[in-house]
Amino acid sequence: MTPLQLVFLLTAALTLVAAFRVVTTRNLVHAALWLVVTLFGVAVLFVLLNAPFLAVVQVVVYIGAIAVLFIFAIMLTRREMRDQGAQLNKGWWAAALVSLLTFGGLFWLTRSWDGFTRTAAPLPTGQDTLSALGKALVSPDAFVLPFEIASVLLLAALVGAVYVAYREK
Amino acid sequence: MTQADLYTLLPLIVLVIWACALLLVDLLIPRGRKGITAFLAALGLALTLGLTLAQVSAAGTAFQGMVVLDGFARFVNALLALTGLLGVGLAYGYVRRMGIERGEYYTLLLFSVAGMMLMAQAADLIVVFLALELLSIPLYILAAFARPKETSEEAGLKYFLLGAFATGFVVYGIALTFGATGTTSLSGIIAAASNGDAGLLLTIGAALILVGFGFKVAVVPFHMWTPDVYQGAPSAVTAFMAAGAKIAGFAALLRVFGLAFSSLSADLTAILWTLSALTMIVGNILAIAQTNIKRLLAYSSIAHAGYILMAFVPFGNAEVLPVSVAAGVFYLVAYTLTNFGAWAVVIALEKAEGRGLDLDDYAGLGRKYPALAAAMTVFMLSLTGVPPTLGLVGKFYLFRAVIAGGFYGLAVIGVLTSLISAYYYLRVVVIMYMREGEPERVSEPWLNLTWAASALAVVLISLVPAPLFAWASQAVFALF
Amino acid sequence: MIPLSWYLILSAALFSLGLFGVLARKNAVAILLGIELMLNAVNVNLVAFWRYGNLTSIAGQVFAIIVFAVSAAEVAVGLALVISVYRRRKTIVADEIDMLKW
Repeated sequence: MTPLQLVFLLTAALTLVAAFRVVTTRNLVHAALWLVVTLFGVAVLFVLLNAPFLAVVQVVVYIGAIAVLFIFAIMLTRREMRDQGAQLNKGWWAAALVSLLTFGGLFWLTRSWDGFTRTAAPLPTGQDTLSALGKALVSPDAFVLPFEIASVLLLAALVGAVYVAYREK
Repeated sequence: MTQADLYTLLPLIVLVIWACALLLVDLLIPRGRKGITAFLAALGLALTLGLTLAQVSAAGTAFQGMVVLDGFARFVNALLALTGLLGVGLAYGYVRRMGIERGEYYTLLLFSVAGMMLMAQAADLIVVFLALELLSIPLYILAAFARPKETSEEAGLKYFLLGAFATGFVVYGIALTFGATGTTSLSGIIAAASNGDAGLLLTIGAALILVGFGFKVAVVPFHMWTPDVYQGAPSAVTAFMAAGAKIAGFAALLRVFGLAFSSLSADLTAILWTLSALTMIVGNILAIAQTNIKRLLAYSSIAHAGYILMAFVPFGNAEVLPVSVAAGVFYLVAYTLTNFGAWAVVIALEKAEGRGLDLDDYAGLGRKYPALAAAMTVFMLSLTGVPPTLGLVGKFYLFRAVIAGGFYGLAVIGVLTSLISAYYYLRVVVIMYMREGEPERVSEPWLNLTWAASALAVVLISLVPAPLFAWASQAVFALF
Repeated sequence: MIPLSWYLILSAALFSLGLFGVLARKNAVAILLGIELMLNAVNVNLVAFWRYGNLTSIAGQVFAIIVFAVSAAEVAVGLALVISVYRRRKTIVADEIDMLKW
């Protein structure tokens, strides 16, 4: 086993344990903090996948903004978030069954795909992924359209969120 | 990026810029005069509609094959701009009456229409995904727009949770499709699939995308959210969402399944058959027990998703598919007109605090307001599929196409469930004419125009349906 | 080297855990946390497919960034809705929000 594989396995274990705690823990503040751990694990995976920029975005945007927003929302509504008995509904066993079946199905079906055990080609030397990514996002010959739509989407979400959360006097 | 690229998306670009400008202009319009914002929004939609119809000469892909302009996109976009116009028309008096008249309503509606139009033009799964979000997120807010009314807030939250969940499925499916084919462009997927090197992973991806879209267009068993959301959301929003989200969702289903995944027909035809049959049966049977008109129309909308889904069942049969899809598109037009008409009648009778929505509140309508009752009768007949209405013509084309594809069982189920649906649609008519009551209606010019014009269109077009069907066929045939 | 399968299995597990959270949790915020797990599973898949696929195309990473933006938009809208409901009802337990019956 190479050191890289060891790092992967440790990260994967941490990520999955944290994700499991996110969906099962009773205290929602803890659940949000476990989410931070999960997100951090995914950031490590991005580093292993030679996508360091995405790892940084994951930490800055996902942990720094989204997860913190969750914690804010939970704190704002915290009276209801304290441990008040079961946080799972009565049909949780059916939910567990469905998700186990989903996992089994995804695992079994992807295993029979012939690209399943593919290994990565070494990154071509001299290729600057980051600048290629930056150019692709704003180049008319690449992905400028999705980029612009995403900005419109964020504007629409902003307008909507402000409208809904705004308290009228 | 060339001029041609921009021209391909011209109506959409104009609409988005108009929406952003409206957001700013709205600040200058004093409270209580937000009707001006509504007029400006309608103007923008009319301009979009005009530009869409004027794009006759342009065709082809743009932005490196991310979006496409063809007859189908033009037809669907025109229908969507019309949907937006009707949505603004219904909202104009309604939001004032309900005390939720705010400029954001119209901005969000325009953003949502932009998302729907993008969906009809998308030729890349990244764009499909973004369009889906751009149409959905404003709808979540619009469903909750009557806040702090509890039912509306809950409808918004419920719609959001189910919608975001569905998005998770769609995007996971897209990721697997990307892995299987190495591309997100629909034409690239077609090429990779025909090489046969995509295999099982593509099938899983397609199945997950189907689950996500099933939630969006409310196909059984992914329909649970529909009655609550349709009932809780402001009626003007429900009318817009019922038509718009269905049109856009089915347009994307056509592009993604009819074209890109056509190699998977052996696996997917049976699934689509089952979903379509289940949706027709469950939607129609559950509708029988409803006593609230909004819930009744919600189940009716589920049932109609089943009928429209029929059009996609023969998607592996290259000869039948164009005809059946043209029939599906025609049915969407029929459903849109009927749907807006019926909701306009509901809005005319709705009172504040959610009163005036029980079927019993329709008693005596035939005697007191004969014209309104006649219009409602037309819509109920059209939803059932009884002559002389557009609903019948739509069903006729659909069943004929499905039979041509050899799916006799599905056609039989379609006819039988239509018979079941007659029970609850005609009950509304019976209550209107046979029972005594003192209904009070609201009379507003735009509202009256909506139900009167829809009723006329539903009857008149059904007398000469051939030109519209020819237009729909021409739009669809260009795809294949 | 780490084979692609490891990432795919991890991603499938993360997706299924998120699915469980959405289906089994009572609280609206907790459901939203589950949805975030599902979207992260997507991103793991996308970046892995990019790394193990055609490296000259950057589409996988671009798509991952789009997913970031979309999930930020969703969370903003979702938490706004949650707070708005909470303000009125003092509860955001999904089970208790059933004024509208099935």
